[in-house]
Amino acid sequence: MHLVDVLALVVLVIGAVAFVLGGLALARSADLEALYWLVVGVVGVRASVQMVRPAKG
Amino acid sequence: MSETPGAGTDARPPPPRRRALTRVADLGAAAQASIPAIYAWGMTVAPAAWSRGAPALAKVTALLGVAAVAGAAVAERAYPRWARIVSVWGLVVTSVATWALASTAMTPARLDVARGVLGAAGWMFFAFASSAPPVRRREEDGERILDGPPLKPRGLLPRLDSLYLGGAVVVALGMIAIGWRVTSPERGVLVRLVSLASGLAVVGAATEIALARHAPRVKDRPRVRLRRGTATLVLLLVLAGLGAVVLLTR
Repeated sequence: MHLVDVLALVVLVIGAVAFVLGGLALARSADLEALYWLVVGVVGVRASVQMVRPAKG
Repeated sequence: MSETPGAGTDARPPPPRRRALTRVADLGAAAQASIPAIYAWGMTVAPAAWSRGAPALAKVTALLGVAAVAGAAVAERAYPRWARIVSVWGLVVTSVATWALASTAMTPARLDVARGVLGAAGWMFFAFASSAPPVRRREEDGERILDGPPLKPRGLLPRLDSLYLGGAVVVALGMIAIGWRVTSPERGVLVRLVSLASGLAVVGAATEIALARHAPRVKDRPRVRLRRGTATLVLLLVLAGLGAVVLLTR
């Protein structure tokens, strides 16, 4: 396992935690905060997948 | 002529999951009907008994219904005829009593449509399972469905992959739980939808990471992979910095 795999896993965990925080903020009706955490979650998950996915072609 | 591996008589005992299914098939009608009965109870009776303002007696009658179903399943071997009567009428009578005692929970404004439809389906399956003869395993079917030698898996799921997926599923289920605590129905639906999408995204990403470990093609060098994710990582860092700035200036 390379360092980049560990980094991908860490970023995925960050994304998952951000999604949970976004859901909790949405439940509290803190919409702006929820939007922030959900965007962080999407970016985190996207970054982790980009680092592990094999190149196309 | 070489023999296919695994062909012939397989003397090994069936796996635990298969043994559990075999045991379910050996149960009587009341015991088999207890599964949809508990489902229907959980969807339609329990929410009414434990709703706001429901009297304690409603909870007692609701629990008596479960006791009737469980008792019938246990006593079915000794008293098959009475078990079915106790299971059907016990659950029906106690459920009607619960709904009558907790009538405020059954008003259209408080009745969840999706739960009502699912509960009605549960009651239908309970009625069908109670009235039909028990589904028995036929001896001639044996333990297998397909003819021919038993199929062997090409490989087992590595433990690390199970950890990735298990962790992602736990996170996804935890997210779904958030929406059920919201009091406003509209907000609750929104939270549930967002949580569901987020959970699916996490499970999808975890699956990609797990599958990438077994990619048949030659993997890119770590530096190339890191470069591919650099733009998104920088965006993540910018967002983290933005969040920190907002937090500090509050």
